[in-house]
Amino acid sequence: MTVRRGVAHLALLAALLALPSMLGSFSVYILDLALVYVILSLGLSMALGYAGQVNLAQAACFGMGSYTLAILTLKTGIGYWGAFPLSIVGGGLLGLVVAIPSLRVQSHYLGIVTLGLALSFTAILTNWPLTGAAIGLPGIPGPTFPGANFADSSAYYYLLLVVVVVLFALATLMMTTSVGRRFKALRDDSVAAAHSGVEVPLYRIIAFVLAGAYAGVAGALYAGMVHYVSPDTYSLTIMFLLLAMVIMGGRDSLYGAALGAVVLIIVRQEFVSLQQYEQVGYGSLIVLMVVFAPSGLAGLVTSAWTRLLKLAGTAHGPSRIRTLAEGSVDGLGVDARAAALAPAPVAHAPVTDGAPILRIVDVTKRFRGLVALDRVTIDLFPGTIHGIVGPNGSGKTTLFNIITGVYAPSAGSVQLRGTRVSGRRAYRVARQGVARTFQGVRLFHSLTVRENVMVALDASRPRSIWRYALAPWLVLVAERELRRGADRHLARYGLASVADFLGTNLPYGQQRLVEIARAMAARPSILLLDEPAAGLNSHEMRDLAGLIRHIRQAGTTVLLIEHNMGLVMSLCERVTVLASGSVLADGKPDAIARDPRVIEAYLGVSAESAIEKSFA
Amino acid sequence: MTQFLQTAVGGLSIGTVYALVALGFSIVFRTMGLVNFGHGDILMVGAFLTATFFTSWHLPFPVAIVLAVMVAAVMGFGFERILRPLERSDLNLMLIGTIGFGIALEGVAQLIWGSIGTAVPTPIANTPLHVGGVIISPYDLLVLAAATFVMAALYVFLNRTKAGIAMQAAAMDYDAATAVGINVSRCNGRAFAIGAGLAAIAGGLVGPLVYVQVSMGSSIGIRGFAAAILGGFGNIPGAIVGGLVFGLIEEFAQGSSYGAYTDVITFVAFTLVIMIRPTGLLGEQTVARP
Repeated sequence: MTVRRGVAHLALLAALLALPSMLGSFSVYILDLALVYVILSLGLSMALGYAGQVNLAQAACFGMGSYTLAILTLKTGIGYWGAFPLSIVGGGLLGLVVAIPSLRVQSHYLGIVTLGLALSFTAILTNWPLTGAAIGLPGIPGPTFPGANFADSSAYYYLLLVVVVVLFALATLMMTTSVGRRFKALRDDSVAAAHSGVEVPLYRIIAFVLAGAYAGVAGALYAGMVHYVSPDTYSLTIMFLLLAMVIMGGRDSLYGAALGAVVLIIVRQEFVSLQQYEQVGYGSLIVLMVVFAPSGLAGLVTSAWTRLLKLAGTAHGPSRIRTLAEGSVDGLGVDARAAALAPAPVAHAPVTDGAPILRIVDVTKRFRGLVALDRVTIDLFPGTIHGIVGPNGSGKTTLFNIITGVYAPSAGSVQLRGTRVSGRRAYRVARQGVARTFQGVRLFHSLTVRENVMVALDASRPRSIWRYALAPWLVLVAERELRRGADRHLARYGLASVADFLGTNLPYGQQRLVEIARAMAARPSILLLDEPAAGLNSHEMRDLAGLIRHIRQAGTTVLLIEHNMGLVMSLCERVTVLASGSVLADGKPDAIARDPRVIEAYLGVSAESAIEKSFA
Repeated sequence: MTQFLQTAVGGLSIGTVYALVALGFSIVFRTMGLVNFGHGDILMVGAFLTATFFTSWHLPFPVAIVLAVMVAAVMGFGFERILRPLERSDLNLMLIGTIGFGIALEGVAQLIWGSIGTAVPTPIANTPLHVGGVIISPYDLLVLAAATFVMAALYVFLNRTKAGIAMQAAAMDYDAATAVGINVSRCNGRAFAIGAGLAAIAGGLVGPLVYVQVSMGSSIGIRGFAAAILGGFGNIPGAIVGGLVFGLIEEFAQGSSYGAYTDVITFVAFTLVIMIRPTGLLGEQTVARP
């Protein structure tokens, strides 16, 4: 398979190298333009497609690259190659500025903010004397190289081709390893990503800066090609064209983004006589693509290819999109003995002196007028399974959200091994060894089971991103290591056979298991389970109980929200009862079950709560 | 002082238009949790239609606006129909779909009306009124009155009619609304149609104030959208406040010595406000989508 791919790549490269000799000089000029747009489109694809950041300022970053180059070469005389790296920095910096709002707002808000900032940028270009105002800056020098005449569009083509190949390889490396996986994770579910230890804000910024830096390269190369810059080149029209390229190519594919750019630039040129229909054309194209082919050209090609292979009868190996037949697995399919024999060692040393590992002290949480939690105090002791029960709306999930850093408490604090963690960001709490699952299963839906686990297992920090540029082999080594670790981990949970499946294609019970496996991947010292038994059948429930016991035996303390009282009573050493946001009772399960207040507030109104539950 | 008041009057005048645009954005957002990025372009089409009906067909101005609103509403309805498959799956994709729709509309408008644009005369005698040294254009007052009327009518529709209440219910809980027999898709279609109608009214009214051209869609649309977010997205009073505030910021920036950089000042100010208060001045009212 890899051999075939290598051959395909070589053939593509050979064709690209031979192209200029087969075409007239004007056609080569159009190709040059297409390659500039490929760079822009690759950048946007990483931010918009992979990281899901609605970045409508890519054209502005493109402008930043061009104008930086123009101003530096014209006003300081440092020459093309001297200004080139600074143009990349310029594009990246503008990307950084545009990224800042993404820390506070997302989706459509981010769209309008980035659009507004892009408009501001254009306004500056058209008014500032330094940028030549509306007229622009003519006479920009092109790049020079001994023995090459870059005034010739064929020579420029080869220069561009080298840059495109390098940037494409870099983007592919990033998007198929740690960075890209984290991008997809935070795009699919930013909350679950943070709880898996992904520094969500930082990765959002990285996405914008990457897009900006790519745009900076494109801007510098474009300025060196046309020797003239003016504000029109970087307007909203161009931004929308770029958007069309990425959407048409496919949001999740770098090949798609490149293909989209080439196709649209060539189509635009071929139909130059029909230019008045151009906007209608690519506008409708975007609408049609999102409705009928949301995965773009890349998706169409892939599905056609798969169908072709199937027809030829050569399809082999488990397809990623195959669905497991319901009921093909008995229970959760966990090999309890295997799990017991190979318990995952816990990274954080267990506390043995009997002091609580987690203290929730007088925590109050108010949402405007509503008091969700009222001076809640709970101690969690290492090595226990601690249950939290209470009627719907009693504040159980809010408590989890406070422990894991989704909310800051209005008053009180949460202390992990004596250190205050409340008010810290979710990914920091996760990194300190607190993992969780969610009430409704929240897997990263575009990632496979293995990749879901790899996100949580990945211990590399954003600062090691320099490796991508300077030591890519280290990235590959780490990636292989990570993959092996994930496979070992999955085997422990009996999930090895589904490692290549999309998590969301598994039966519900297995999805729950994958979520627990993901939470356990980083070897947390505390695991928070939010109604893990909801929706499981009795076989699966039995397996779940066994699994939770094994997790505890391996050294992880478990805090469990559960409505199934049978499960709570049989599993937990300690139970806390919440009612209307306060602790009603706290103690051993049998004592709790006999507590008259508990019976009155919770078990005694079982008929009512049963009705409530059936509507929930 | 007079200078200050004069600028304020100008800001409120254009702010009224932004408020109308913001309302259109908000109404679609409330019901569907979706932003229609093509809204500004519907406004532009509304402005062109009104201009055509009024100046070329010599219809009375109110009739011209009503016709434009009807055409726009049909467009909105149709567009919702096209995007409906994405309604319950991927809102980010739908958002990009609406951008595509806007681009296509701009292209169509360019084909029909050309890129030069047209000036629309004011429909009423426009002798400026002098009030305490401040000059007020009667047409501005007309716009203000019309906008107030539209906003009031919208309020009554949403809160006092069965269809309006159903739309609000659909916004709050898709499943519960379906369970009590509300046709949620029809509600969404209506929301899109009403949003488009509002855009067309705004377009028709703004026509005599600005030069009607294809690019006005994105420029007014972006400002109206920013106004909606500034006031609190999905929040009806917020849209009005946001529109007026945005108009005032812009007018004062224009009047300052950095007038050329008005866009920079307004959008940077907007970005700062949104970063400090992401839910806007009066708070967001949104659909809790799973």
